Amino acid sequence: MPETMQSVKNINDELERLESVQTPGNVVRFLTFISDGLHFGVNTNNVIEIINNHKIRPLPMVPDYVRGIINLRGQTLPIIDMRLRMGKPFQEYTPQTCIVILEIESNMIGVVVDSVAQVIDIDLDKTAPIPTENRQELTNSMISIDGTVILLLECEALIENHM
Amino acid sequence: MDNGTGSLLETYLFETGTLLEQLDELLITAEQNGDFTEDNVNEIFRSMHTIKGSSAMLEFNSLMEIAHHIEDLFFYIRDNGMDTLTSDQKSELFNLMFSSVDKLREEVGKVESSEPLDTNIDGFIQDINNFLNKISNKDSSEAAGDDTEAPAAADGAAPTPQQIDAPYALQIFFDEGCGMENLRAFMLVTALQEIGKPFNFYPDDVETNSDSSEYIIENGFFLGFQTEEDAESAVAHVSTVGNVRSYEILDLTAAQKEEESSQPQSEPVQSPQPEAVSQPAPKKAPAPEKDKKPATQSSGSHGSAKQSLISVNLSKLDSLMAIVGEIVITESMVTSSPELQNLKLDSFLKSARQLRKLTDDLQDISMSLRMVSVASVFQKMNRIVRDMSKTLKRDTKLTIIGENTEVDKTIVDNIGDPIMHIVRNAMDHGIEETQEERIAAGKNPQGEIVLSAEHTGSEVIISIKDDGRGVNPDAVLAKAASQGLLTKPEEEYSQKEILALLLAPGFSTNTEVTEYSGRGVGMDVVKKNVESVGGVISISSELGKGSCFTLKIPLTLAIVDGMEISVGGSIFTIPIANIRQSFKAKESDVVLDAAGNEMIRCMDDYYPIIRLRDLYAMEEGCTTIDDGILMWVETSDKSYCLFVDELIGEQQIVVKPLPSYLNNFNIQNSGISGCTILGDGNISLILDVNNVYSASQNMFF
Repeated sequence: MPETMQSVKNINDELERLESVQTPGNVVRFLTFISDGLHFGVNTNNVIEIINNHKIRPLPMVPDYVRGIINLRGQTLPIIDMRLRMGKPFQEYTPQTCIVILEIESNMIGVVVDSVAQVIDIDLDKTAPIPTENRQELTNSMISIDGTVILLLECEALIENHM
Repeated sequence: MDNGTGSLLETYLFETGTLLEQLDELLITAEQNGDFTEDNVNEIFRSMHTIKGSSAMLEFNSLMEIAHHIEDLFFYIRDNGMDTLTSDQKSELFNLMFSSVDKLREEVGKVESSEPLDTNIDGFIQDINNFLNKISNKDSSEAAGDDTEAPAAADGAAPTPQQIDAPYALQIFFDEGCGMENLRAFMLVTALQEIGKPFNFYPDDVETNSDSSEYIIENGFFLGFQTEEDAESAVAHVSTVGNVRSYEILDLTAAQKEEESSQPQSEPVQSPQPEAVSQPAPKKAPAPEKDKKPATQSSGSHGSAKQSLISVNLSKLDSLMAIVGEIVITESMVTSSPELQNLKLDSFLKSARQLRKLTDDLQDISMSLRMVSVASVFQKMNRIVRDMSKTLKRDTKLTIIGENTEVDKTIVDNIGDPIMHIVRNAMDHGIEETQEERIAAGKNPQGEIVLSAEHTGSEVIISIKDDGRGVNPDAVLAKAASQGLLTKPEEEYSQKEILALLLAPGFSTNTEVTEYSGRGVGMDVVKKNVESVGGVISISSELGKGSCFTLKIPLTLAIVDGMEISVGGSIFTIPIANIRQSFKAKESDVVLDAAGNEMIRCMDDYYPIIRLRDLYAMEEGCTTIDDGILMWVETSDKSYCLFVDELIGEQQIVVKPLPSYLNNFNIQNSGISGCTILGDGNISLILDVNNVYSASQNMFF
């Protein structure tokens, strides 16, 4: 357990450090996380922070992937579950479970993921579109690094109305 | 530069708006008294002076011109006193002032929405000048009597031809280039003959001689009257006729006296108005020095009173309020932290108590900053009642009670329109059309609308009561039926439900659309506006005796008194304002209707039961009525019982809106209006009693 805490802390530090560093060319930093065995990447510009062990207040009459709202230092943020959002079955939250807080078009939203992995540089020119027949709603490009396929998350699609 | 004008403009709009509001108020009181006091005159003079100055600085010429001419007018009145005016002139002055204030407000509105200002205000200024001429001419005749050497006295009176053999003449100019001046003059003559006052006119061949047009264009059309009153009454007529550019009463007696004492001056006839504007100024030149002292003194005392007030941008107060709300929450998070339990911390507890007291004070003060009195909204109704009494010819007075009651600024801004709609409705539908009708009903011939505000704990109650016809329930029901607004058979409607129909969208009792009401939009907007500030509206009415609209409105939106309840371990907050009663009941008390919906009897009536746990499909929580507790809640048109697990307690809460992402799911329709953060950092959802009911209806059907 302390290891998870440590890794979360390291990534948070990394995110903070990144704010001042600009990467050249078409290389963009992505935070990668794992949900239901899939690796996803999300642009670090959208990531505010990563939290875990937060108590979620459930809301009535919303789709099941909206887990509820949390109180983050006086701000209330909605929380969605990545697995449920993709239509996968729900899995009980473990100590590894993290909430990635994203800011998308000035909306703050938390995304529950199985675990966060690392921050990596991805050259957007090297990404490949996902074949139409495999296309996911939330991603439309991917990249393979060291044999691991990373799906790049479209943040805007995340907050669009999906019933 | 742009930035500079930006903030200047804001100050200007605020200042001018306030001045105009004060003026309106002043005019209303003055009109009731039928007179301007010396203070009133000084006040108007000062306000106009300020508006003139600041408008000139920002180059709003039309505003400056109007203010300038009113200032001139009141300069004259200030020096001569109101006593020199006849009562006709006074009422004309009031009308003129009301329309001036309206005109100024209209122009200020244009400045605000950055539309181009009216460039053609000549006609309006002419009206002011004419009035000034009228009152000053009469005065100058008196002055001429006392002191024939006054050089300016004859200015306005000179250009009258000898052909008019009457002591008072009315000189009329038509609009330039309107054509057929002689026929227009003749029409005027026929119109005036109908009043039946004796008069003669020149040129006297207007009917037959079309060449007289030229004379009229050049010199004006003259009407001669024997008495001043006749001339005045004619003026009232002339002012309503179209195409009249200007008119002026000439006092020939003064002119004749003048001629006796000095050589007759054959002044060239020109448009007399521009001269007349400057007329009072030279004559009064010595006077201002005497007058100035009291004026500057009183404006000095005014100034010192104003210095203790500052105007603050509302958004700053909003953020102050938000921060104070956070502090209140954080304070209780710190002092009731579970880590401090079971520790003996004497000095900590002492400091904590001190902190609690200070945060309470801070909260009170920051709330009071946002409190403004409802007077500004109420005073506007004076004007509406006045205007409508005149146009509808229903003599009605407005009585205002408790106008100093204070409520949150946001709420004051939101209740203006609803109150206005209700007052208009009361005037239009409530008060009887004729005085005879009122007398026959044994009422005072003068109608009365009572507008009152009072505090009750965390709410303010505003009621608008009229002593008119009252609501005829059968007529309302028939009307609603014809408009297809009924949702159940007519005979099932109770009195209360019938009255609630008045607030339904699309309902209108008036068959005709009038200027003021009858479009059927309005009352439902009233309801919506009142509910948007968390208020409740109710109507009571007795046929033949009048109606009363009552608005119950929370003092503030940001902080609400709430009752915390729990269902299955989750905490919800119900606004105290919506709670009627909470009680324990037994399973056997519950009755079922045909559709299997649960109901319970409270105070001789049956109310539906809504189980929050079932509604929100929660996994835990009480299922048997005996274990939980029933909360009897109501809004303006709904009353029902909520079944919950337990009551936790009453608490003041800071309302936070839900994240906007959740609007994708119509979260409001599920009965949750917002959330609040509890002392322990957990979130409680605030229930909207009205929508909870709708949500449950949607779920069952």
